[in-house]
Amino acid sequence: MALTIKSQLSSPGGILKFLIKYNTIFIFVLLVVFSAMISDVFFTSINLSNLLKQVSGIGIISIGMLIVILTGGIDLSVGSLVALLAVIFAILINIVVLPVAISLTIVIGFLLGSVSGYLVAYQKMAPFIATLALMTIARGLGFIYSKGSPITFKTPGGEFMADFANNSFLGIPNIAIIFILIVVIAQVLLHYNVFGRLIIAIGSNEEASRLSGIKVNKYKFLVYAISGALAATAAIIVASRTNLGSPNMGMAWELDAIAAVVIGGASLNGGKGSAINTLMGVLILGLIGNILNLLNVPSYPQQVVKGAIIVFAVLLQRFEDK
Amino acid sequence: MNNSESEYRLEMNGISKSFGIVSVLQDVNLKVKHGEIHALIGENGAGKSTLMKILSGVHQKDNGQVFLNGEEIAPKNTHEGQLLGISVVYQELSLVNDLSVAENIYLHKLGANKFWMNWKKITKDAGDLIKSLGFDINPAARVRDLSIVQKQVVEIAKALSEDTKILVLDEPTTVFDPTDTQKLFDNLLRLKKEGVSIIYISHHLEEIFKIADTVTVLKDGVDTGSKAVSETDTDEVIRMMIGRELKDLYPVRNVEISKEPIFSVENLTAKDTLVNNVSFSVRAGEVLGIAGLGGSGRTETAKLIFGADKKKSGTVTLGGEELNITCPAKAVKHSIGFVSEDRKEEGVFLPLSIGRNISITNFKPISNKFGFIFSEKEKANVIGLIDKLSIKTPSGKVVVKNLSGGNQQKVALAKWLSIDSKVIIIDEPTRGVDVGAKVEIYNLINEVAKKGVGVIVISSDMPEIMGISDRILVMHKGTIFGELPKEEFSEENILRYSIGKSLKSLMFH
Ligand SMILES: Nc1ncnc2c1ncn2[C@@H]1O[C@H](COP(=O)(O)OP(=O)(O)OP(=O)(O)O)[C@@H](O)[C@H]1O
Ligand SMILES: [Mg+2]
Repeated sequence: MALTIKSQLSSPGGILKFLIKYNTIFIFVLLVVFSAMISDVFFTSINLSNLLKQVSGIGIISIGMLIVILTGGIDLSVGSLVALLAVIFAILINIVVLPVAISLTIVIGFLLGSVSGYLVAYQKMAPFIATLALMTIARGLGFIYSKGSPITFKTPGGEFMADFANNSFLGIPNIAIIFILIVVIAQVLLHYNVFGRLIIAIGSNEEASRLSGIKVNKYKFLVYAISGALAATAAIIVASRTNLGSPNMGMAWELDAIAAVVIGGASLNGGKGSAINTLMGVLILGLIGNILNLLNVPSYPQQVVKGAIIVFAVLLQRFEDK
Repeated sequence: MNNSESEYRLEMNGISKSFGIVSVLQDVNLKVKHGEIHALIGENGAGKSTLMKILSGVHQKDNGQVFLNGEEIAPKNTHEGQLLGISVVYQELSLVNDLSVAENIYLHKLGANKFWMNWKKITKDAGDLIKSLGFDINPAARVRDLSIVQKQVVEIAKALSEDTKILVLDEPTTVFDPTDTQKLFDNLLRLKKEGVSIIYISHHLEEIFKIADTVTVLKDGVDTGSKAVSETDTDEVIRMMIGRELKDLYPVRNVEISKEPIFSVENLTAKDTLVNNVSFSVRAGEVLGIAGLGGSGRTETAKLIFGADKKKSGTVTLGGEELNITCPAKAVKHSIGFVSEDRKEEGVFLPLSIGRNISITNFKPISNKFGFIFSEKEKANVIGLIDKLSIKTPSGKVVVKNLSGGNQQKVALAKWLSIDSKVIIIDEPTRGVDVGAKVEIYNLINEVAKKGVGVIVISSDMPEIMGISDRILVMHKGTIFGELPKEEFSEENILRYSIGKSLKSLMFH
């Protein structure tokens, strides 16, 4: 082999390249250091645990969003699904025992996601359109089932969930543990399991996947269904935190989830992205909100800053591709 | 033109280029005269395409100088290259699938200086241009609906749609049958007469001896010299290319072919393509060639068998059992493999690593029943195949996009040839592969046949299909027009069947 390999370290841009390659982590660390410097409260356990609790719901749907985006699709319905499923969970918890309420909610989430999955995979509908339709339908159903007002938990099961959602284990909020667990499972499945290999392959070249004997439709169907089930999990968590299910929950969360996935370096064309990086994306978004809150920045300027960070993160990734 | 300044239209002097840590070109020189057809050859990954991309402005050189008509140039992008009169037909198709043929051809002119486009005129011009080149394609058709051969013609038409001083053709004939190739050559000779300088890259050495005036050889990123074609021969050129003698291009196969067919199709007719009433069978250990002109339905037949196209009627039988294949996944389940001729769109996953590309067809041996992948086993498998097919790469982690065209082809093959299939259909097995590596691929095909697999090879490369097949079927207008046993292999016979004529010697049967 006549390829001349120069030493990587001797190349002048070595450090820069390293930073670009791990840009998501780099931005994250930068934000943490910055936050710690400008606010005394930041590194208190209350603040950190609040931060984790706040991001867990969006974090869980971001993982669903990630696997959909990996196949080259998109799921706009997740925010509304959280609302509808939170309402459903609140209704269920008041009429059946807790384990049944939880399982039923997740199954219903899976089935709702399957609707998008079916339309995209088997009816060849554009993901944007199919999930946009489900987004409107789910939000509407949420209002219908709840008659427009929040449904509070009234049973011991509800109390248990509220306790669970607001408590911690070894200093880490329970719901954050669930989120992290989901991230770990997703990371393992995406990187060490055939499932991940196949959906990444589908996202990078659907036709080649089909001709490699992959059941493309089955996997495309499945990712939306999983995204729905994850939306249900998020719904259970956010409803439990506040002890109620409201049709106003999860407003525009789909956009935050997309932002988190993109900040995490995934490509909207599919085929590129990882769960750990999406976790970073979620934390970065959460951190920005957190630090701006600590600095008492009102919410509209916050949105501007968020947008700017998204642009910055994606621009950095541009270099990485070169 | 006697002063040395202008003897050459193009001079590339001391060109060096590396991608990150990998050095691809070192001190390469290329000098092309006016009205000359200059062949550029070399093994897969030698740096031919990279050198041409530097010329046209896709890549920027690290070192060296480029002179056009004695003036130094350094195009920063392909637009600048085009303005200088450099037109390139790249190795990989780069058409916009959702635009029409005409729009693609005049894409670079869109928005140039006029605000309004005269679509009628453009469509007509494109039609005229294609016709003047001797081909027949509807200029209003969407590129997505074209065959790969037609797409290649559009690429060529696009390159010739404007005043060209230097025309680069990077392996333009890999999908062409002999008649298409001849049409292209007629055009090249005409352009040459008009004074256009042509740089022609190909792994078909006979083409080079047919039309080129001068040949420059690249080996591992270094040029090993230029020769007048009239003063050299195939053996010398091969030696310059691969640094050794090449004995048998088509290695002999000592394979016991079974009596009974392992696989057969009967009266296969497609729903949406021209394929009709195709019947044939292949025996275990046999290599069955399918020849025919572009558009005769060879690829479509393969796709129909593989379940990628819809079937209207007919039966497919494997090992005595009739199969109902409705999608490629089912074909694969029945141990049927298919290597597509269109590696970029259908064969490889460009953004994924070599390893991930190779593993995709066969996770069984490298994973447990829950689908968890044993990375050590996978790595060993990948390294083994990289070695076997001599894929030129520093590691299996390199993304396929960064491989040279021929090496991408090897990846596309590796993912199918490494698995246990009963029947494998290979559409253009050595598309873009250099002579040395061709032998390795033929060896691999032999190895597969030896395992008792029925191998079906589709190829437009006449010497190749005659060199590796036990029997050749020739397709014409979507059906099998004739069959040639080994004794009757000849270019003439194949061509006669291809155009729907019977053989001259038919009386003897
Ligand atoms: N963008 C890139 N990044 C990294 N390496 C690259 C890139 N493009 C090409 N290479 C490497 O440069 C070398 C030369 O590639 P090139 O495409 O020029 O070969 P080639 O002579 O055209 O081969 P072929 O006959 O297979 O088309 C190869 O080893 C290839 O892997
Ligand atoms: Mg090349």
